[in-house]
Amino acid sequence: MIDAGARVPIRLVVNGRARELAVATHALLLDVLRDDLDLKGAKRSCDSQVCGACTVLVDGLAVSACTYLAVEADGCAVLTVEGLAEGDTLHPIQRAFVDAGAVQCGFCTAGMLLTARALLDEHAAPTREQVLHYLRGSLCRCTGYRKIVEAIVAAGGGDR
Amino acid sequence: MLRPFALHRPGTAEEACGLLARLGDDAVPYAGGTELLLLMKLGLLRPRHLIDVKRVAGFDAITDGARLTLGAAVTHRAVERSPLVGRHCALLAAVARHVANVRVRNVGTVGGNLAFADPHSDLATLFLTLDATVELVSGRGRRELPLTDFVRGAWETARAPDELLASVRLTPWPSGTAATYVKFGVHERPTLGVALALCRAAAGARVGEARLAIGCVDARPARVPAAEARLTGVAVAELEDVAGAVAEAAAAAVDPADDLHGSADYKRAMVAVFVRRALRIAAARARGDVAPAARFPHAVVA
Amino acid sequence: MSARPLRVVGRPLARIDAIEKVTGRARYVTDLVLPGMAHARVLRSPYAHARLARVETGRARALPGVVAVLAGADLTWCDPYFGPAFRDRPILAIDVARHEGEPVAAVAAVDEATAAAALELIDVDYEPLAAALTLEDALAPGAPLVHTREPLAGHFADLSSLRPRPGTNVCHQFHFARGDAATALASADLVVEDTFRFPAVQHYAMEPHAAVAAWDETGGLTVWASTQNPYSVRVELAKMFDVPLARIRIVVPHLGGGFGSKTYAKLEPLAAALAHAAGRPVRLAASAAEAFQTVRRCSARVTMRVGFGGDGTLAAVHCDAQYDVGAYADIGPRVVQKATYTATGPYRVPHVDLGGAAVYTNTTPGGAFRGFGVPQLAWALESLFDVAADRLGRDPIDLRRHNLLGHGEAFAPGDTPIDGKFEESLGRAAEAIGWTLAGAADRGRGLATMLKASIGPSVSEAIVRLHADGSVSVLASAVEMGQGTRTVLAQIAAEVLAVALARVVVVTPDTAITPYDQTTSSSRSTTMTGRAVQAAAEDVREQLLRVGSEALGLPASDLALEDGAIVTATRRLAYPEVLARRFGMAGGELIGRGVVAPGRSAAPLGGSTPFWEMAVGAAEVSVDEETGAVSVERYVSVADVGRAVNPLLLEGQDEGGVVQGLGHTLFEEMAYADGHLLNGTLLLYRVPRADDVPALECRFVENADGAGPFGAKGAGEGSLVPVSPAVANALARLTGVRLRDLPLTPERVWRALRARERRAPGAI
Repeated sequence: MIDAGARVPIRLVVNGRARELAVATHALLLDVLRDDLDLKGAKRSCDSQVCGACTVLVDGLAVSACTYLAVEADGCAVLTVEGLAEGDTLHPIQRAFVDAGAVQCGFCTAGMLLTARALLDEHAAPTREQVLHYLRGSLCRCTGYRKIVEAIVAAGGGDR
Repeated sequence: MLRPFALHRPGTAEEACGLLARLGDDAVPYAGGTELLLLMKLGLLRPRHLIDVKRVAGFDAITDGARLTLGAAVTHRAVERSPLVGRHCALLAAVARHVANVRVRNVGTVGGNLAFADPHSDLATLFLTLDATVELVSGRGRRELPLTDFVRGAWETARAPDELLASVRLTPWPSGTAATYVKFGVHERPTLGVALALCRAAAGARVGEARLAIGCVDARPARVPAAEARLTGVAVAELEDVAGAVAEAAAAAVDPADDLHGSADYKRAMVAVFVRRALRIAAARARGDVAPAARFPHAVVA
Repeated sequence: MSARPLRVVGRPLARIDAIEKVTGRARYVTDLVLPGMAHARVLRSPYAHARLARVETGRARALPGVVAVLAGADLTWCDPYFGPAFRDRPILAIDVARHEGEPVAAVAAVDEATAAAALELIDVDYEPLAAALTLEDALAPGAPLVHTREPLAGHFADLSSLRPRPGTNVCHQFHFARGDAATALASADLVVEDTFRFPAVQHYAMEPHAAVAAWDETGGLTVWASTQNPYSVRVELAKMFDVPLARIRIVVPHLGGGFGSKTYAKLEPLAAALAHAAGRPVRLAASAAEAFQTVRRCSARVTMRVGFGGDGTLAAVHCDAQYDVGAYADIGPRVVQKATYTATGPYRVPHVDLGGAAVYTNTTPGGAFRGFGVPQLAWALESLFDVAADRLGRDPIDLRRHNLLGHGEAFAPGDTPIDGKFEESLGRAAEAIGWTLAGAADRGRGLATMLKASIGPSVSEAIVRLHADGSVSVLASAVEMGQGTRTVLAQIAAEVLAVALARVVVVTPDTAITPYDQTTSSSRSTTMTGRAVQAAAEDVREQLLRVGSEALGLPASDLALEDGAIVTATRRLAYPEVLARRFGMAGGELIGRGVVAPGRSAAPLGGSTPFWEMAVGAAEVSVDEETGAVSVERYVSVADVGRAVNPLLLEGQDEGGVVQGLGHTLFEEMAYADGHLLNGTLLLYRVPRADDVPALECRFVENADGAGPFGAKGAGEGSLVPVSPAVANALARLTGVRLRDLPLTPERVWRALRARERRAPGAI
């Protein structure tokens, strides 16, 4: 048992870097990433797993970090938007978002990119249908989505 | 933001049940947290102990045999991708593929879904057509309940506070069964769900047994025996002839309330519409039509 | 200098903040951390209308870790009232709570958990009062009054014409008449009339409102705010806390969407008050659910009568519009005034009688939302236009074309003449949707237009600095909220100064550093702030040429700017060299200043619109007759933008506008029961998803005839406005069913279709 209020040591690999932290049982992964690790890319918006702004990948799986206990990530690899690029080289999905004009206010962007990354890991060249299926839980209020879908399809090498 | 709680990570069901018995109302089982943590963030639930069941041996297993058993901590994602599920009940995999969104499916579990008894759930409705039973364990022993008896109402189940939902067991349909699940709604969670299975009689050209369940519309999902009776023995080629009567019987069987999802009479009418559509889809599948799945706005056809 | 082809303006360039956004480095208010920063939480009223008999905060104050607790009664050391139209909104409810979710008390503590725990220790005795929850409630004789005393006048001179009607819930009434509408309607060959309803809608900017406030040792206040108008917030805070403007800094990092929800002060006064009480910086970040309780679009009921001659010529429009502005006026009265003025849309109407009322109710305050009251009226007018076309046996496009205002024609005496070519937009939209081509039997097509005034008069100032290495800083206070204004301003400066876009930096709005800009709203930034930046850059260019002329011994007219240098036929002097000559060393900079301040005019609202926002939308829809679900299959938007400074960004903005418009057309409505909001979270409030988006084309008419830089003019709201009537017109042409209430939910359409079946088949 881990007592209420007690801090549990956890080890995780965040964006390729091993981290050791002590977190409370009730600490949410989103807050740990943002506040303890200063990774502010993931955003809190709906706070109810509908919008996708807080999406990060835990062992490759997209999760809502706003509704995910940090202790669950113990022993896992966590990927956030800050870990998508390799140095100054953007990941193809980032490049595609820039080129397609798929970014406006940017508040949904991290979640969109990580959702797209998970999709591309599963289907290297996703169809438009597959993209729409994956984006069922990813909201954007600025772009009207057309350029986001276009960017993801393009990142997979599909038609623009 | 969550309030502090103690986290228990039992490795066995016995251990988990012991904790539940000892901690009583202060404790709740916890798996994916997709429902539980939401309610806790809102302060609607304030448990002092969470019993994580994900490490309980066997809870993450999908096994076959006479029946298909899904451990309580099996995620929707695991159901979607399981070869066993694909072999025994491909429709279940297809339904799991459309639960909520990809993040919820990655984390949310079958057991959590059933134990919360949210009326706007897909799985419970489908499971009713698979003669689902749930296995409950406690320090007092084990019991197996039909899903119909387990789900008592909206957010209400037959689980006693010291009991743990261990698994759900399904009886896959006989081969040759044509089935579909159709859900409809504008909101995040479905307004209605229709699960229909047409099991063929031995001769093959007629419906032997039909199973129809309606979900989301009432406080809990339910089978519609009156509609099922209308389908029994009907020749596959003549299903369209009884569609109206089946739809009417289904609409008469539900007792919806007015809410944000719509007025009672709209929901009742939509039950008729989607039962008819589900029947048409299942009939086409029974005939072996390989036409692409029907599409309806705001609806998902699995 | 001869005109040279544009090199940066007019090109579909990637936005200048794209890299920081795709790498997660872009910073928003909630990402900021200050040393010693406390975290705030707000206790909100569970009642729509209640007297606060007692607010007891003692136990909360005693909780370890709590650094400040405030209730309305504690705010004696400042002026607690704010609001742009009237100062009717207290920082925290004083004596009375007027809507569910109104802040009643607030806590700042060492962390959010402690603040949340402290909230539970605050005891409030509420005495529920009769509430006015709908327009009907609020306008009924003897209705409960949301405000019982006349609200204090606001701080903004341009809003001084707004007046409440004492003793009623009407907080402003606007009337605009020309000619004799009553007589014209009486003698018109055809009069179409109906009442239309538009729902309360939530902006749902992905980033909820947030502010971080800190007072310094000099008595100065800095607020990092998610606001669209830092300078308006500054004025309000200065008056409330009696601090000189120069001692207040409003800093605006990236905004996670605005759409009008972040115009004027929202959370900033509370954050500042808490920081003052706590004696340390305070961060106040609203949840998405709290955003639903902060501001919304004004719902409306619009009754319109439109008279036509037998040849289809518009004779008169009579409009009676009531907007529900909720519990506090915010900018609602101005929404009503400004929208009602243009209720006749882009048409030539000799006789008009237009009335609009802003009505208080005990619901979330209504304020600015993309379109600023125009969508509510266009919903009525553009629907009635199709009804009239049917009755007259005219093609709806022909009937519109027959009545359109032409380029250069007056909209109203004293106001800016029409500055675009509506016919061209109409023609292109019709062509793109295939208006004259046979369509599938199960598809219907519909079209609608819009016209909207921008804010007038308004002021924008800008500074452009050319540094010793030839790089450029643009100082302007237009807020980047996703629309791309920083990129557009950088393009304008880069164009004028002939430098690469990458050499231009646009400084984050900060009232201590970047000069005055009235507001980032009303689609005005490209035109107004853009012109200020253009003028400032031109100021720098003149200085460059002066120096160059002396250095090269040639008249300035023989010099040109090219690729970061002054060039002649034979020589090239790079900017660093020019500056070195100017200052005699590698230091110093050229500073240019631009001011746009058109001042008041004889136009009916006291200021001329700087441009007219003009757009046409065309929809092709299908309907699932059994469920009533409407699918928008294709949509075309054509906006007359003068010139697209950045077509990629503009296209994205207009695509977003269409999809946001689809939201209130098909799904979105804040639903109340007994004063309680039923769907204040995304689990029940449905915004459009990727799979709702039709085949979508956003196009532009570009005749370089706008008042902005390089012939540009404002855009970004226009695409949203025609969506509802275009979709409803398409649905009517497909099914014969005319809907008057939004949103067009499946159930609403299903009911209308069933009602049609009960009538004689084919009748409308």
